[in-house]
Amino acid sequence: MKKLGLLLVSLFLISSLTACNSSEGSSEQASGDGDVIELTLWTDWTEDRPENTVYKKIIEKFNKEHEDIKVVLETIPHDQYETKLRTQAAGNQLPDMMRVWPGERTAVLVNGDALLPLNSIIDNWKDIIPETILDDYAIDGNYYAIPSNVSLTSLIFYNKELLQKVGFDEFPKTYDELKELITALNDAGITPISLGNKALWPLQSVYISTIADRFTGSDFLPNVLSGNGTFEDEHFIKALSVIDELNKLNAFNEDMNTIDEATARNEFIKGNAAMHFAGSWAIGPILDGIENIDNIGVAPIPTFKGGKGDPAKISGVAGGGIAVSNSLSEEEQEAVFEFLKFYYSEELYSNLVRANIIVPVEIEFDSNVPQIFQDANAFVKGGLAPVYDATLPAEITDIINNGLQSITLGEMTPEQLAKEMQNALESKR
Amino acid sequence: MKINRTAKIGIFLGILPALIIYTVFAILPIIQSFFYSLMEWDGFAEMKFIGLDNFVRLFNDPIFLNSVKNNIFVVIASIFGQVPIALIIAILLNRKLKGGRIFRTVGFLPVVLSTVVISVTWSLVYNSRYGLINELLRNIGLGFLAHNWLGDTKWAMMSVLIVIIWQFVGLYLIIFLAALQNIPQEVLEAAKIDGAPEWMITWKITIPMIWDTILVAVILCISGSLKTFDLIYNMTNGGPAHATEVMAIYMFNETFKNLNYGYGSAISVFIFLFSLILIMITRKLFGRNLT
Repeated sequence: MKKLGLLLVSLFLISSLTACNSSEGSSEQASGDGDVIELTLWTDWTEDRPENTVYKKIIEKFNKEHEDIKVVLETIPHDQYETKLRTQAAGNQLPDMMRVWPGERTAVLVNGDALLPLNSIIDNWKDIIPETILDDYAIDGNYYAIPSNVSLTSLIFYNKELLQKVGFDEFPKTYDELKELITALNDAGITPISLGNKALWPLQSVYISTIADRFTGSDFLPNVLSGNGTFEDEHFIKALSVIDELNKLNAFNEDMNTIDEATARNEFIKGNAAMHFAGSWAIGPILDGIENIDNIGVAPIPTFKGGKGDPAKISGVAGGGIAVSNSLSEEEQEAVFEFLKFYYSEELYSNLVRANIIVPVEIEFDSNVPQIFQDANAFVKGGLAPVYDATLPAEITDIINNGLQSITLGEMTPEQLAKEMQNALESKR
Repeated sequence: MKINRTAKIGIFLGILPALIIYTVFAILPIIQSFFYSLMEWDGFAEMKFIGLDNFVRLFNDPIFLNSVKNNIFVVIASIFGQVPIALIIAILLNRKLKGGRIFRTVGFLPVVLSTVVISVTWSLVYNSRYGLINELLRNIGLGFLAHNWLGDTKWAMMSVLIVIIWQFVGLYLIIFLAALQNIPQEVLEAAKIDGAPEWMITWKITIPMIWDTILVAVILCISGSLKTFDLIYNMTNGGPAHATEVMAIYMFNETFKNLNYGYGSAISVFIFLFSLILIMITRKLFGRNLT
């Protein structure tokens, strides 16, 4: 009996020893100076979406054409992606390259000295991508990623048939007309706007980003953050009051706080609501889901009386880009640069347009590109306004997200929310 | 029993792998989180020692205090909901009942289901527009009782608590059933011969004999409720307007969304101490020590 125990123990020890050995062996192989440089790239391309296929195909092509460099993809579901990235960064275990998003989300990585500036190769794209969009990834004059797409966050999708039913042949241009439309829809027993705010960000990212810009102008947000203004500005409070007013008009479905964004979008696609406010990410699913695409129109957020902002603007931000770890050897850096130049090419952008993704470079459209995609794409020319959750520090985003929901529940006033945001900002300094 | 030296070494070697894994993945992180709770740290930049400031902030944070209150609701609902309901059903099922096995399986079913499935299903049941409950109420003419169950701050917590009770009754049901079946028949027979009525047998014999099991169930309830996260996270994400936010959700949001690793760790430490104290109080109250 005792011998058996001893045997088991020694077996266990031996197996654990060999386990250690084999793992050491493989890591040596990866980081060793063999012929092939292996680069790991973390992305969130788990979903079977056309744009993800475009990204993956380009990488496949790169691997085929380059015998000395191999890009290894690791995909993580989007909802966990950023948590994992931040946790790994905290443990100093970032991959060679990773997908990132602009603003505060990249800034935390830069502040932790985890990313490599791409200044030496940025000239490659200076002529094709507008400066303002490249700047979304610039922090203190250093560029950290190249955007593959532009994400618009405030589009209004509407059901033409339902609007005509209540006598609107065109989408309202002003907020007052929009309110009339909402009242008319309610009188006809049609849910005006399908909203899924369970995850809290839609009211902020989709609604407030552009509505607030209409009232305050695009300089407001950077100014407040640098201390040259306050959230308690009357124009900003007016913007928050719009949500309160829409809610009191019963503009939204009553279960808005318990369903998520995708569910709300499906309600709109099914024709159960006349409007749905969402970003460019909704174009694909709506085109896929809807039977008669000519029945759907897309419009910008209307204009507001007394607003200081440019009414042609739409909130938007450079989309995901690939950032590079700061801990690469020179040889690996060269390989990464070669990869990035190959990846962000004409081919990528024209394929993305075919997948109904709005891109930061000018591409000629085929005639079979759907109208709502062309319309949405045209809004970019009016200029981009800052997106709130891409610009605000995470804590303030948390406060405005929760605050907007509290406003819809009548538990907070716009003034109180503005004050809370300002207090949090000041205590952060 | 005497254990000789070589056997001792054998035992030590045997538990060593498990001990190492447990230390590295369970004990060390707890110690680490004590350490982080004294720091201001965003996960990347230099850590800054700030002493007990995180804890001072914690007790002045109304959103956190609200989450403590909600968490206490969960604990109360679990102890006074799950345990008694499970106990009553277990005593009933312990009789020679027709179809007792089916009831047992049905009762245990929610425990095997994934929490995500449960939360999605119940979200649909609770939905204010086309959910099962409201449809039913409207169809039988009680439409005025229909509420926006998860979307209204007044009802959200109660709605979530019902699901939590529903989810775990089955677990305690099985634990109690196992304990009930271990009661020696002779004792019960003796009581019957003495002419004791059923309720007295239950009250004076059955329950005292499974008292230790009940205590274990209560302790499991407390520690489980203080850790509760997945169900609420999926059903309401702590909303609306923090109405269903519990400590673990607040900790998760602060740590990983707002990147306050220091403050988040302080919340974890608080949860740790809070459950420790609660469990100690329970053991004092119930009088007997576990053996």
